Amino acid sequence: MGVITHTPAEQTLIDLLDGAEDWRAAAREAVVKFGLPTKRAEAWKWSDLRRATQGIEAAGVAGYRLDGSAIGPQITLGAGEEMMLDLTATAGVGIAALEIHVPAGQTARLIERHDLAAGAFVTARLEITLGEAATLERVVISEIDADAVGALRTRVVVAKHAKYRQSAVSFGSKLSRHETHVSHAGEGAEVDLGAVYLLAEGRHADFTSTVTHTGAGGVTRQLVKGAVAAHAQGVFQGKFKVEQAAQQTDAKMTHRALMLSDKAEIDAKPELEIYADDVQCAHGNALGAIDETALFYMRQRGLSEAKARAMLIESFLTEPLMLIESETLRERVTGLLRVRLGEMA
Amino acid sequence: MIKINNLHCKVEAQDGEEKPILKGLSLEVPAGEVHAIMGPNGSGKSTLSYVLTGRDGYEVTQGEMDFSGEDLAELEPEERAAKGLYLSFQYPVEIPGVPTLTFLKEALNAQRTARGEEEMSAPDFLKLAREKAKAIGVSMDMLKRPVNVGFSGGEKKRMEILQALILEPKFLILDETDSGLDIDALKTVAEGVNTLRADDRGMLVITHYQRLLDYIKPDVVHIMADGRIIKSGGPELAHELEAEGYDKYLTEVA
Repeated sequence: MGVITHTPAEQTLIDLLDGAEDWRAAAREAVVKFGLPTKRAEAWKWSDLRRATQGIEAAGVAGYRLDGSAIGPQITLGAGEEMMLDLTATAGVGIAALEIHVPAGQTARLIERHDLAAGAFVTARLEITLGEAATLERVVISEIDADAVGALRTRVVVAKHAKYRQSAVSFGSKLSRHETHVSHAGEGAEVDLGAVYLLAEGRHADFTSTVTHTGAGGVTRQLVKGAVAAHAQGVFQGKFKVEQAAQQTDAKMTHRALMLSDKAEIDAKPELEIYADDVQCAHGNALGAIDETALFYMRQRGLSEAKARAMLIESFLTEPLMLIESETLRERVTGLLRVRLGEMA
Repeated sequence: MIKINNLHCKVEAQDGEEKPILKGLSLEVPAGEVHAIMGPNGSGKSTLSYVLTGRDGYEVTQGEMDFSGEDLAELEPEERAAKGLYLSFQYPVEIPGVPTLTFLKEALNAQRTARGEEEMSAPDFLKLAREKAKAIGVSMDMLKRPVNVGFSGGEKKRMEILQALILEPKFLILDETDSGLDIDALKTVAEGVNTLRADDRGMLVITHYQRLLDYIKPDVVHIMADGRIIKSGGPELAHELEAEGYDKYLTEVA
């Protein structure tokens, strides 16, 4: 194989990972050999990380903070705890990692916010494990600088009878990759993945996920909705894998997005890979534009075009947020959407 | 109140082709009067309602539309609404996710702001909505549901009139308000419309059938065919049409 010439961002990442162990060592090895993923890699064809990190050279500082304090590599949540988790990064290349465990039978809520500065490139890994009959609600609010790059990967291991509910909102950036990979034990376990992306001109967001059902009788619901302005790009890659042992799996995936302009780009790839014969699995994918008839109807009643548009987009986007249990939190997230929609008008 | 003079309009079809629909339509509805427009399918009745309210794709190529001294063609749809022009849609639009009450409060306050009036407070609006809903037999429960979503044809038409009762426009265009209504619903809707009759308010009732005009009695009836008004007269004209059909007028045009 030919030797590749590393970009400054790649070289900085390799240096940062020098001497590392576990996944970091594997990640370093991959960057040394192949560089950062480009659009030539199937899984990254709509999110060219190598290209997006051009111009980022020095090392920066990135990390997770829990309720405002720096934390170690592992935490345990439980006893109905609600925690604020912040992923922050300064300009430059940064790495952040955290392991979160919710013990058997415990319930917790995690509110995660991303705050990446202009010129930041962050590789982040979150490893979440739910013990038997544990419950975790995770709400992710990704409001990062337009000029930041995030490759944010979460792995979730869901044990029997556990419930994992994730609602993510992303306003995108130069490149925002949100990966979620769930190992689903079935046997009464339930997984809900909700996501919303609202992308102003020039922004990119990518929701890529896999849910692997390993045990029988698991339930998964995934609803992803997006709205994309001119010269912005939304990406959805969702995969359900149902192993042979995972009979009676009930899994449903839906992605729906609005093109707010002829010059918007939305790329979607829903996939089912099923090895069990007695399952209920479905996926749906639909792209559309704002309903011009509804727009005229609303304007005829006196609403300005901008206001009518914002109301239509908001009502379209909020559906996945119904997952959020706390009404206060749901209202707060909807409020963020409303502010962004106002700015986009 | 509304003066339309020699109006020509072309409509852009889905295939992008433009087709002339209104071909020199003239009509005048003074304040305090109710005029009916009757005509066969395809005569341009709905086009007239859309061109008056400013829908995209309906382009005036010739003629004038004057509303209380203002040239309508110069105004955006929402500006026309704020000046008091209201269209009761033939097919009211469903808006998932937007509760009817929220929609109407936003619409009313947008109109008030555009007119330089103060916004109505939430409690005052709720009181107004409750009072008007009761008058037309709509439950508050229905008003909490998303605009028109899952409503029957009759319920949608009732909602259109309820919206008019709340927004209190100066001029109403009712486009096929009777379609989809059974006789009881028709009576309720007509009662609602009749409460809106006033010396300073005009109405244009567009209908295919004479039935609605038994309940909303027009001062003048116009017959429309091929994009023009071809005959005007008193309420008796509607009965004549019902008895004889449109054929006579269609052959006159041809």
